[in-house]
Amino acid sequence: MNSSEILELFSTFIVISALYIQGQAYFKPAIYVQAIQSTLIAILGFYLGITLSSIDYIVLGITILILRSILITIFLFRGLKEKPGIRESSRGVASELILDLIFSIIASLLIYYSVLKKINIITEINNTLILLFAFILLFQGLFLIISRRSTIFQFLGFIEEENSTILLGILLLPIPFLIEVSIFLDVLGLVIVSSILTLEKIEHSRLDELKG
Amino acid sequence: MDVEPLLLLLIPILINIGFFKLKLIKVLSILSALLTILISLSLYFLTPIITTFFLITKFTTFFLLMITSIYLLSTLYSINYIKPSRIVSERLYYILLNSFVTSMIFTVIVNNYGLMWVGIELTTVTSALLIVAEASETSLEATWRYIIIVSAGVTLALFSIILIYYNYHTLTITEITPENNIITRLAVALALIGFGTKAGVFPMYTWLPDAHSEAPSPISALFSGVLLPAAAYVLYMVYLINPLINIFVIFSTLSIITTSIILLNQWHIKRMFAYSTIENMNLALLGLVLGQPLGAIILLLSHAFGKAGAFYSSGIIVKILEEKRIENIDGLYSKLKLTSASLLMSSLAVTGTPPFATFIGEFLILQTLIQKGYTIEFVLILASLATAFISINYNITKIIFTQKGINQTNLKEPTLITFISLISSIIPLILGILLLVILP
Repeated sequence: MNSSEILELFSTFIVISALYIQGQAYFKPAIYVQAIQSTLIAILGFYLGITLSSIDYIVLGITILILRSILITIFLFRGLKEKPGIRESSRGVASELILDLIFSIIASLLIYYSVLKKINIITEINNTLILLFAFILLFQGLFLIISRRSTIFQFLGFIEEENSTILLGILLLPIPFLIEVSIFLDVLGLVIVSSILTLEKIEHSRLDELKG
Repeated sequence: MDVEPLLLLLIPILINIGFFKLKLIKVLSILSALLTILISLSLYFLTPIITTFFLITKFTTFFLLMITSIYLLSTLYSINYIKPSRIVSERLYYILLNSFVTSMIFTVIVNNYGLMWVGIELTTVTSALLIVAEASETSLEATWRYIIIVSAGVTLALFSIILIYYNYHTLTITEITPENNIITRLAVALALIGFGTKAGVFPMYTWLPDAHSEAPSPISALFSGVLLPAAAYVLYMVYLINPLINIFVIFSTLSIITTSIILLNQWHIKRMFAYSTIENMNLALLGLVLGQPLGAIILLLSHAFGKAGAFYSSGIIVKILEEKRIENIDGLYSKLKLTSASLLMSSLAVTGTPPFATFIGEFLILQTLIQKGYTIEFVLILASLATAFISINYNITKIIFTQKGINQTNLKEPTLITFISLISSIIPLILGILLLVILP
């Protein structure tokens, strides 16, 4: 298996994990799969770090592993403990998944054919098509946020968006600055969302006072 | 080593060391605000400062002055306004306030697009809990919307930063020269959506009325008066890489039109001012991209004080009358005289009434718009500004002068916060008169 195939395989698993979260109504498995998704991205970082002999990728991999795979998972589970149910109350998860598939794939193909193919981007591994995975993950994250009402699922959508940025970054170029950036994003998630809001508000609905 | 910019960053952070005593952190926060204003003023005479880390020009110092002045006013206002809640204690409030201001200062003085992005992200981290300071159901929802929408937008902005890095292999602003290719075009377009989310550009501005209306008034003032200009500053810096003038003009015009339509039927006093912020901010952005920075700076400066005055006086109304619905507030002049004066003046200031400085800024920008040949946009914006002017001032005069219910004349205005509100709303008028003397 060559380098490009390994990256494609990992990226496929990452996208599959995102679709699994979209099709899941229970909190626990969705949080676990988020941890797996982040771990896969960390492994990608390690792999690129070794093959390209770049310490930046290794540091990024370690950061993702500690902050996203471990700490965020712990915080989210802590938030869940104090809630009575562990399933989101919304219905129609299956139909949302189908809509999501249509939305993500069409949007990503549009991006690929109207932008990526035209601008002649050269990636680290000479495969532009691989960037499509990052865009699928981005749109999937956005769809998860807009399709769900619970704080935890919306937060998972937010993490998917972050993961998509990291994926785009590591596939496109060497990323010294992305290390700091991802840490700050995770601080946002850890400090505010996990510790306060997930404990305070489990679901979101339209409030009259916030209309207009 | 440039000491002044470093002090500007360090002072508001270091004073948090006084967190253990509430009185101490309050005093230190006021002291920090005063010191940062003095440093910002001194920087005006020391510019340009260009190092690998800092980029401070005269243009930047106006943003610094805006940030530090509203910082001082909001800190003073908070002393009599903020009460501890189950989520945010008073001490935590001041720590977050100081950190929020530092993150805004950091955003406008760094010489690196990546760090600017980090600064914008930091403003979200430090300000999110400030919105929820009153711990109501609606403020929690508003905070959540703020985090989710802004984070989604800022993720797109990171895509833009990645593309800039890909094209130039550096993110240092002073090392980057404008270049017209498809990658820079894409980067600037993505920045318009990404940083535009934070700056209140159509269609991603939906978090703004929620956050502004549910945050405590001193925080609404900081959001409206300085956070949005800081984001607009970053957006403008990215814009300079490849000036896509038409796309910026279209999106700004759309933002102004949509908000003026929403303003026609606005029922919530603070939301009304939040929508007015979107309108003013997009007009300032138009000024920047059209090459009319003077107009934009005048508008932003005047708007910062005017809008702070509007939020401060609305805060007094909400606190004393416990009412947010415009239709339920009446006879304000007989109840709260000084607050009425402040509300009326700030409302006139933010809607661009002559001789307030906002009018001069708006005039210069609109003049440039028509000079550059954007006639349709000019007509649409003028009509929108007129609509917004009528909507806001009609509501405010109704609140102040119409007398429907029982006259409660025994209400007492809180001295300090009323005084701050009044000062804030007078500044755009003084600035306007000064400019009328200086500009010709």
